[in-house]
Amino acid sequence: MGSLMDRIKLHEGLVYDKHPYGKAPGRDPSLLTRGIEPPSELEREGMERISGLELEVFQHKMTSIVEEARDVYMALSISEGIITGDMNASIFTAEGDPAVVATGIYFHTLLNYGQVKYVMEYYRDDPTVGLQDGDVYFFNDPTCGGVHTFDMFVTAPIFHRGVLVGWAEVGGHQGECGSISPGGFSPRATTRWEEGLHIHGMRIADGWELRRDILDFMLNSVRNPFVFASDLKARVATCKRIRDRVLRECERRGAAEVAGALRKILEVSSELAKQRISKINDGIYRAVLFNDGVGQESGLVRLPTTVVKQGDEMVVINQGVSPENHKGPQHCTWHLMRASMGVYLFTYFFRGLTPNIGLLEPIKVLVEGPSVANCGAEVAHGEGTTISAMNVQNLHVIGSKMLFDSEHRMSVSAPFSRNLMIYVYSGTNSYGYRTANFTGTQNLAGQGARFDLDGEHASGFYWASVTDAGEVEESDTRLPVVTLARTIDKDFHGFGMYRGGVPSVEISAAPRGGCELTTRGASDRLSHNPGIFGGYAGPPNPRFVIRGADVFRQMQSGAMDLVLTQHNLAHEQPLEGEYHFDYSSKATESFVEGDLFIDSAGGGGGYGDVLERDPESVMDDLRNEIISAQVARDVYRVVYDGELLKVDLDATDEERRAAREERKANGKPFDAFVAEWSQLRPSEDKLTYYGSWPEPNVETYTKPFWGLFE
Amino acid sequence: MKVRVTEYLDVALPERRWACNRCGQDLGPAERSYKEGCLITHRDPREVHPVLAPGEEFNFSFDPEWVRLVEFYCPGCGTMVENEYLPPGHPLTWDIELDLDAFERTHTQTEGAATMTEPGA
Repeated sequence: MGSLMDRIKLHEGLVYDKHPYGKAPGRDPSLLTRGIEPPSELEREGMERISGLELEVFQHKMTSIVEEARDVYMALSISEGIITGDMNASIFTAEGDPAVVATGIYFHTLLNYGQVKYVMEYYRDDPTVGLQDGDVYFFNDPTCGGVHTFDMFVTAPIFHRGVLVGWAEVGGHQGECGSISPGGFSPRATTRWEEGLHIHGMRIADGWELRRDILDFMLNSVRNPFVFASDLKARVATCKRIRDRVLRECERRGAAEVAGALRKILEVSSELAKQRISKINDGIYRAVLFNDGVGQESGLVRLPTTVVKQGDEMVVINQGVSPENHKGPQHCTWHLMRASMGVYLFTYFFRGLTPNIGLLEPIKVLVEGPSVANCGAEVAHGEGTTISAMNVQNLHVIGSKMLFDSEHRMSVSAPFSRNLMIYVYSGTNSYGYRTANFTGTQNLAGQGARFDLDGEHASGFYWASVTDAGEVEESDTRLPVVTLARTIDKDFHGFGMYRGGVPSVEISAAPRGGCELTTRGASDRLSHNPGIFGGYAGPPNPRFVIRGADVFRQMQSGAMDLVLTQHNLAHEQPLEGEYHFDYSSKATESFVEGDLFIDSAGGGGGYGDVLERDPESVMDDLRNEIISAQVARDVYRVVYDGELLKVDLDATDEERRAAREERKANGKPFDAFVAEWSQLRPSEDKLTYYGSWPEPNVETYTKPFWGLFE
Repeated sequence: MKVRVTEYLDVALPERRWACNRCGQDLGPAERSYKEGCLITHRDPREVHPVLAPGEEFNFSFDPEWVRLVEFYCPGCGTMVENEYLPPGHPLTWDIELDLDAFERTHTQTEGAATMTEPGA
């Protein structure tokens, strides 16, 4: 890339295009950064043979195979995360690149080339390991290409008459992994060694038969061996289904054509991505987000994103990132930062293009390390997704600004909600076995407002928009928690000309016998759900529990004949009990029967100026109880009859005209604003983990805009 | 001619200047950030985001000790062109830095470009 990149100066002494850690047994980070493998002789032969039309047919066939696999895996699994769609299934090329990706968590698949390439590089020709039909590999190590130890995957080679044509891959959020907190997420973990089982890519089956000794080792490493074993078998069975389906295609087309077609999908996708990028205005685009903690401790953390777009190439740069803190699990890896981008890019930016890793080929990724975004191997990684999600949110804001002046304006929107809280319930369930996982309420986040529409309520999971929340009755039996309500709550989204979507808030209680709860989250005093073009952000989402509520007794006495919503519980506090509003990352605590948990994935940001929202839409929001009268009056500046909810249009026009005059009277010209603003600074206790203020890695910085280095 | 670049921003060509899409107000040279042509204020975010729970923090609103709401207004019509949630004193974001040579080439050589904007009032 030419002249625009000349304006970017990277800091010396830091790495950007690779990991800050090196090789170790089972791990070779260079395999994670080297991109799509060149075609093999077999693939080249097949690529030349298959026509464009046949490739289209083939790609649809392969997609139907992985979508079927997704359904099979969700149906066979007994883990709440998998059942509700926190998973993926895919087909890789013979050389190990993800070519066909199911809906679900795109980044799962975009990462798992790590284990396949390791097997191909180091085990295939090793006489003590080898590679043959019926082998199944297991993988969950975040430093070797994974997400976090609680996301577990299996992969199997697909051999047709002795020729390797591809790989089947299935996996997802299993949860419990033997870490210091039940259920995987461990807010108090500060090193890798507290995060449970780490398997880099280990053969667990020969001839599709699980090895008993390996299985026993894994089951002996986790708290819920029944669930673990059941789900592992579900993954292996689903992998075999993919393999059998692909082999049918091999019988029709031959090994070379199937292997070549899989490889050609990547080539075509890469070309389509370049074409899409080339139609966008060249320039440099920026966005920044902050977190307010590092795990169990508070402190500002910074994640800026710069995109340089020129011609048919893009460079995504994270520079000026807060350093590693060694205080918690919010550390991300280079490969997770890159793969996570697929969640935005595939769903919005490259909307309409078939998702696979070929779409990422024209995009260079530079992540400053060591930092919280590109960390070393020894730190805890369990909540690295908090960091990569901040980058995805930045990218979403940037992407919308890039796409507005293009033929793809329909993809312009505020980001999906990422003020994600996860309540992991652990204990013994109704079936009598031990379990630890979250409920499907994670899949009910609010969508960001779109350029022409409000965001959808309870729309999906941040990492996988095509998901379902699952059945409450089923999660009540599978997890040690009882769901009392799921509500679309009030004043819990971003306001704007088009408003963000509202999440479903889940209100649940500890069952007879109680339960344990571990919570993970971020953005408790600030937000990761920005609005766009003047739209306001979705609000923060702290932890909210009520101890000593004895809610089942109160229900019997009639005290529960109230509206059971987060807004009502927080604002009115109508139930007896101790109300706790806290930082969301909290280590495991015990709760007794009738204690209450209030949990949601947060509301989406707004689009455009609130003063441009149709007053009738504001009345609809009031009628639907998703905003309060305070918001209608003071934020949207609508004048209306409080009883009839009828707008006074003339008075509203006058009120909004006055509001604009207030803005003009209060606003300062740029230089005057900067002179005043630059004197402010957060208190020192908030900057413990930030790095140097305001630009980490720069001793003194005085420019009015961030990220401008000489 | 004016090219609409975002919901509220146009770029006038060949002058290469930012303009408000709603009222046509000039917002400065496009070589620089449009924010330099805006009126700017910073607010306590709680003025916008209702506080749902007691206490200064963890109340479902923003904590002004951690972030302030910075709003950018068109000096002509008072439209809020953009906002940012920033820690107090954190430098602003130069969010759109167009390659103006390429931009002008694209928009003056593409006949009937769909992105042409209606001139401001």
